[in-house]
Order: sequence, then C-alpha cells, then structure tokens
Amino acid sequence: MSGPAGPGERLNLRKGDIVVTANTQNAIEIRGLKKSFGSTQALTDANLIVRSGESRALLGRNGAGKSTLIAMLTGLVTPDSGSIHIQGANGEITEGPGSDAIACVYQKSTLVPELTVAENISLGAYPRKRWGSVDWAAIRRTAVDQLKDWGYERIADKTVADLEPLEKKIVEVCRALSRGPRILLLDEPTAGLDEGASHELFAQIDSLRQRGVTVIYVSHHLEEIFKVCDSVTILRDGRDVLTAQTADLTVNRIVNVMAGVSEEEAAAAKKGIAAEHRRQEQLGETRLTVSGARIGLRVLGANLTVRAGECVGLTGLDGAGHVQLAQAIAGQVAIENGTIEHNGHTLGQGNVIKTINAGVGFVPEDRHVNGYVPELSVEENATLTIVDRLRGRGGLINSGRRRACFTELSGAWAIKCDGPTQAVEELSGGNQQKVVLARALASNPDTLVLVHPTAGVDVTAKESIYESLRELRDSGRSLLIVSTDDTDLEICDRVIVMYKGEIHAELNAGYEEWELVGAIQGAEAAA
Amino acid sequence: MSTHTPTVAGTPTSRRPLNIIDQARSSGWARELALLPAIILAMVIGAVLSPQFLTANNLLNNVLVTSAVLGIVVIAESIILISGYFDLSLESVVGLAPMLAVWLVLPAAVGGSGWGWSPWGAFAAMFVLSIVIGLINGFLVGKLKLNAFMVTLAMLTLLRGLTMGLSGGKTLSGLPAEFLALGNTKWLGISIQIWLFVIFLVAAAIFMRSHPVGRKLYAMGGNNAAAAAAGIKTLRLTIGVFVAGAVIAAFAGLMLTGRIASVTANQGDGLIFTVFAAAVIGGISLNGGKGSMIGALSGVLLLGIIQNILVLSQVPSFWIQAIYGLIILSALIFNYLAGSRRTRRVV
Repeated sequence: MSGPAGPGERLNLRKGDIVVTANTQNAIEIRGLKKSFGSTQALTDANLIVRSGESRALLGRNGAGKSTLIAMLTGLVTPDSGSIHIQGANGEITEGPGSDAIACVYQKSTLVPELTVAENISLGAYPRKRWGSVDWAAIRRTAVDQLKDWGYERIADKTVADLEPLEKKIVEVCRALSRGPRILLLDEPTAGLDEGASHELFAQIDSLRQRGVTVIYVSHHLEEIFKVCDSVTILRDGRDVLTAQTADLTVNRIVNVMAGVSEEEAAAAKKGIAAEHRRQEQLGETRLTVSGARIGLRVLGANLTVRAGECVGLTGLDGAGHVQLAQAIAGQVAIENGTIEHNGHTLGQGNVIKTINAGVGFVPEDRHVNGYVPELSVEENATLTIVDRLRGRGGLINSGRRRACFTELSGAWAIKCDGPTQAVEELSGGNQQKVVLARALASNPDTLVLVHPTAGVDVTAKESIYESLRELRDSGRSLLIVSTDDTDLEICDRVIVMYKGEIHAELNAGYEEWELVGAIQGAEAAA
Repeated sequence: MSTHTPTVAGTPTSRRPLNIIDQARSSGWARELALLPAIILAMVIGAVLSPQFLTANNLLNNVLVTSAVLGIVVIAESIILISGYFDLSLESVVGLAPMLAVWLVLPAAVGGSGWGWSPWGAFAAMFVLSIVIGLINGFLVGKLKLNAFMVTLAMLTLLRGLTMGLSGGKTLSGLPAEFLALGNTKWLGISIQIWLFVIFLVAAAIFMRSHPVGRKLYAMGGNNAAAAAAGIKTLRLTIGVFVAGAVIAAFAGLMLTGRIASVTANQGDGLIFTVFAAAVIGGISLNGGKGSMIGALSGVLLLGIIQNILVLSQVPSFWIQAIYGLIILSALIFNYLAGSRRTRRVV
C-alpha cells in the first residue's frame, strides 16, 4: 500500500488494491478500462478521476463508449481490464463498482405511476414494522425528509401519475439519493422539462453540490453543461481524450474534440453550410393549408400554411398543442373541426395511408414507441411505409426492389449499419433515428412532418441529419419541424409558436433567442 | 436526392472480423436450423432404441402422418403468434368444426341431426362457422382490445361445450366417403395428409417471408404502434389472422376426422399445449414479431419423432405424459441457451 495520493498523481494500481487516501479527495477513480463486446471494442483505455463534490460532464458521440463507461460505474457491466475505485456512502473508497455508491437518474422514468411519491421514494426497500408488515409512517417520514431539502414536501402523498414533469424528476432524484449515495449520475435530466423547470432543476443541482454530492452529468445539450458543471470529460473511440475545466472551453471546441476534427477543418465546414436566410422568391406555392383545426381541448382553432421548399418550425410549451397539430397533419389523429388541405387533397380524418398517399411523410416523436420494429432488419424498417409498392411477381415482395430502395435511402441519410439485414435494435440511437427518418422519406412525400427529429441523437449525427433536411428543403420539399430544441429550429425559415392550443406568434429566421423564449412562454411580442 | 457524406469525418470503432458463428447468427440461419442437431440426435436415439424406427413405413405413416394435423394447427398458431396475439381456441375448432359437418350429414339414429345435408354443403357450413369464430375473436381482441389469452380461453371452453352438446357426448362414425377421402387417399404412395401439410407449409412460408401482408404481420407483432404509424391497417390484419387461424384449424380438424374415420366429442382436447410447445421450441417468440415457418416445422418434427420414440420404446403408457413434459422442458431450456442471446451493445 502506498502513501496518500495527491490529486492527479499517477498511481500504479493492480486489481485488488485498496486505496485509502488521507482526505478522500477523489470520489471516482477509474483507470485504464478496457471492454469489448464480441467484435466491437467499446472501451480501449478509459480514465475518469472526479474529486469529491465536483460536478463533471461526461460527453461523447453515440458509440464513443459513454454508455459502457456508465454501465461499469454502476456495476451492470464488468471491465475486461482496468480498475474502478468509488467512494461509497460511508465515505470509504472501495474497489469495484458499487451499485449502492452511485445514485442514477436516467432519461427514462423508473417511477411506478400508480403509486404515491412516498412509496416510490422507498421503492424496493420499504421499512418494516416488528411483525413484518410495511411501516407506512416511516415511508412517509423518509419521503418528507428527502423532499424538504428541495422545498417540495407537499407532494409526498400525491400519485406519481398526477405530477408535473419537474416534480417527477425531483422524485427520481430523491429516490436515487435516499439510500445515501454521495455520487449522483444524471442522464439527460432536462428531457421533458421546459425552460422554467430546467432552470429550477439546475438550481436544485447546485444546492446538492453545496451539500458535497458529486455529480456526473451526461447530456447532449451542451449549453446546459456550461450552466451546471465545473469540468468536462470527453470520450472518443473508447478513450477519454480531454478533461478540462468548463471555464476553459467553448461549445465549438467541445464539438470538435468530440468529433475528432481540428479547428480549421471545422471552421471551413461551418462556412460551407452557413445558415442562409431563404428569400421569399425562392419558395414555391402554398402546399399545405390548415384552417380552424380543433382537436379536443388541445388544439383550439389553428391556422397555418406551408409553401413548397419551405422549412417551418412549430414549437411551444409541453401541452401547447403543437405536437397534436403535427400528428393531425400527418394523419395519426383526426381533427374535429376545421380543414387540412395538402396538394389539393383533403386530409384530417386520421387515415394514415390516405395521408401518406397524399404526399405527407411523418417522423414520430419517440422512435422506441412507434418509430421502428426492433427485430426487423434496417432494410425492412426503412421501407415499411411502402411495403405495397415493392410488389413484384405474383404479388410477392421483390427483394431486389426493396434492396435498391434501401440503398438509396441509407446513402441519403448516411445510415451506419453492418448491412441491410441487421436488426434495428442493434444500431446506435442516432442511426436508429435515421432509419425512422428514412422510413418517412421512402414514400417520396412532398411534405415531411417531423416531431423531435434529433431527440437522443449525438452532435455529429445531428449535423448529418440537418444537412439531409437542408437538401430535402432545397429539392423543393416542405418541412414541418416540431421541436423544443433550439438547434432544430435554427434551420427553419420561420417558427410558429403555439400557446395553450392557439397559434401565438410567428418568428422569421434571424430571431433573437429571447424573442423565442418569450413567445413560447406566452408573452406578447414587443411592438 | 444526392448522396452525401457527413461533413465531419467520423472514425469507425475498431472491430475484429466476425467469426463464422457470429456470421451465421447474424444472418438468422442459426436460429432457423437450431433444432437440426436435436432432430438428428433424436433420430439416432430412435434408431438405437428400436429397429423399427428408421423404416419408411414408420417414418411416413407413424411420424409424418400423425404430425400432419398438429403441424397444420401449429402453422395457424405461429402466424397468430408472430402477429403478436394468442389463440387458445384453435384446439376446440379442431373438434367443433368437423363435429358440425358430420352432425349435419348423419341421420338422427346414429347421433346426427337427421337433416341429411350433402357433405359439400356441410363443409361449407363448417367453414362459415370457423369464419364467424375468427371474426368474434378478432373483434374482441383487435377492436375492444380485450386480453387475447382470456378471450380465446373462454372461446375454447365455449366451443368445447358446443361440441359436447351437439354430439350428446357421443362419438359419431359411419362417415360418407367425402370425409374419408381426406384420410385414405394416397398420391404417389404417400398419404394425402402429408401432401396437404407440405402444401400448407410451403404456402405459409412463402407468404410470411415474401408477401407484403406477411411482412406487415411481422411488423405488427414486433411493434404494433410503429406499424400503425407507418400506415399498416392493424385492425384489419388482426381480425384477418384470427379468421385465417380458425379456418385453417377447421380444415385440420377435418383431416383428423378423415384419418380416424370418426369424430369424437373431445376431439382436439389438450392439443393446444403441444401446439404451443412445438411453436416455442421451433423459435416462434411469444412476444410476437419473431420466428419462421421453417422453425415451426422443426418444432413439429422434433415433437413428432420424440412421441414416436416413446411409443416404440414400449414405455408404459402411464408414464408417457410425464416423460413428454420433461422432454419439452429440456427442449425449452436448450432453446434458450442455444439461440436467443446476442452480444448486444449497451445502449
């Protein structure tokens, strides 16, 4: 056993070494992790040293090894070689991962909607009374104690299904912390939260740090990193390529490091695809007209038009009605009042096939729910919307035609896969999303409706998708992009903002960020 | 639309070349032929245990012919499973459909209706009945979204009861030639039952693999919401598979009746367990969206061979059921170990 180690000092550790540092400065010490899954090398040499109480962002493209590293932190996956030392709840550093040492809050909710907040916080570890029955009073007390730190003790008895998204997130964090871990891992914590809720969450995370909790922050939203994190570790190709203080970095530098591109190359590329402000004369005639559309209590009379070659953004707060309106245009739901006209066809009856045949394609909100069929091949998923058009002899599918169609689509979207027959569930998130995009495009639509097209997609894949969308727009297609992601909206010619079911504002490209934020919150536009 | 490469170059993650097992697994062939070694092993055991096993007579008449009816019902059930549903009532259709047909034709003295229908009229009535059963199942499960397991279980009981009531619990025999033709006829020296099974199998395999509707069923079973979002008419297809299942099961029942030259009040009773066992062992996923007709065939063959071996080996009949169950349990465990795990990336 060697003497106390200072921060940043290189130790020659072997498996089985117990490291006792004098003042337990490092909450996490990971060195030289290697891991391969079959033929894929997920981690080649990953290192992560995080001081106690530090807030570290963990960044990397899909496939860089981020998820594998996290899985090793939490003990789900064992490394082929390398060492992991984590500060446990009692402050002692132990070898190996501790599933109890790290509190994880993932993107997908792990709460049980039918149970109350208190029950969820103690889920799986209900305190028992003397004769074995559940101690409800203790459960409630634990919940209230946890929630008090956040100022949210009032929600202790509410059913989770009735909570606001921010409250649900807080319950998740409380549940994760309730067993006492000193390390918190947050994966895309602002997913599903609007601006205001995100700000509150950041404030709460800050107060957690004051109390000495170490935070590992994983997110594709780079602006958030600058608000919440002290430092950043960037993974690429299975190794950590950069660890630095956030104050010393810029968004551009981070993106370049993640992609492995030098500053000069990136600047040259950016110039080539600098955002153009499309002039009105370049647009074609009006292709899509929506008037007086009403859908239950969600959409209360909306009007909008989209012209050929135009890219229109549609946004709003959670529940503003923009998603429902887009779904109606795409034929997924029917409108109760009003009309939707596209290329002379009357739509709005909720008939998907009719809508597809009328030239409207749809990219749904959550690819896991209704975007792709996991076990079917990439090829089949991408051509699912046009199965009937691939018929050959005897009414059976012509596999040559299907293959040709897929080759064209995968080239256009740059889908990375082992081959056309690979199952979609094996692809990375970014490529899965591209398959869903390809599926929408397979029917050669004139108008493409996209809901959150870059959700859970890393920065480089995002750029690739935007490039393809720009090409679509330039070729004369119309795009309707529904999103709350600012970068998604940046490629639009104009952005329509909905508020409480009605069209509230329309901003032309070149708007200021505060104008958009204000409009989304329902503020009146400046005179 | 022009092909473009991403503007920022990406470096591929390093990969070792796939070895042959990984290649076979990823192309799907491994899953389909996973039972082949087991079938060969069973045949070797059979040949060792009994000199009669490997004779053409035994293999054709005992193994294949007795497997034919089961095989056709397994095809029907597999299509329904792949589409994402269950149908437990198929075993009762195997009993009720031919019972109805026979009852319409036979005179009252021997237990029939006495209405003296012509056999072809009776066949038509039988198919109409099976279509109705399929429509009801499909409507309840597809439109009202009731639980397929419970609905078809209830239907199983109802139809069994109808069969009992119709026949008064009796076995009806003395069937006209049209019924018996399905059992007796031989083409090229091979029983028509085997021919029919092969025809059904080939047609179903081509349909599920290459026909748009077949592929839509896979999509529907794999992710119903994604299929609906892609414009697939899921309700129509759901009702369709239940109707098809019932019609196919009715035909299988007719084949069975033709072979045993009678129809019993409890015909088909207990069949559904063997149907599910054969399907699952053959790689059909109970979650839907996965499995092939070839796999189903291998499941049927394996169970047929095992049953034949048990009979030939003169195991006391009281013990056959226990041994059969044990073998199926082992086959399921083996199926899990051999097939379904892939090396997955952590997403």
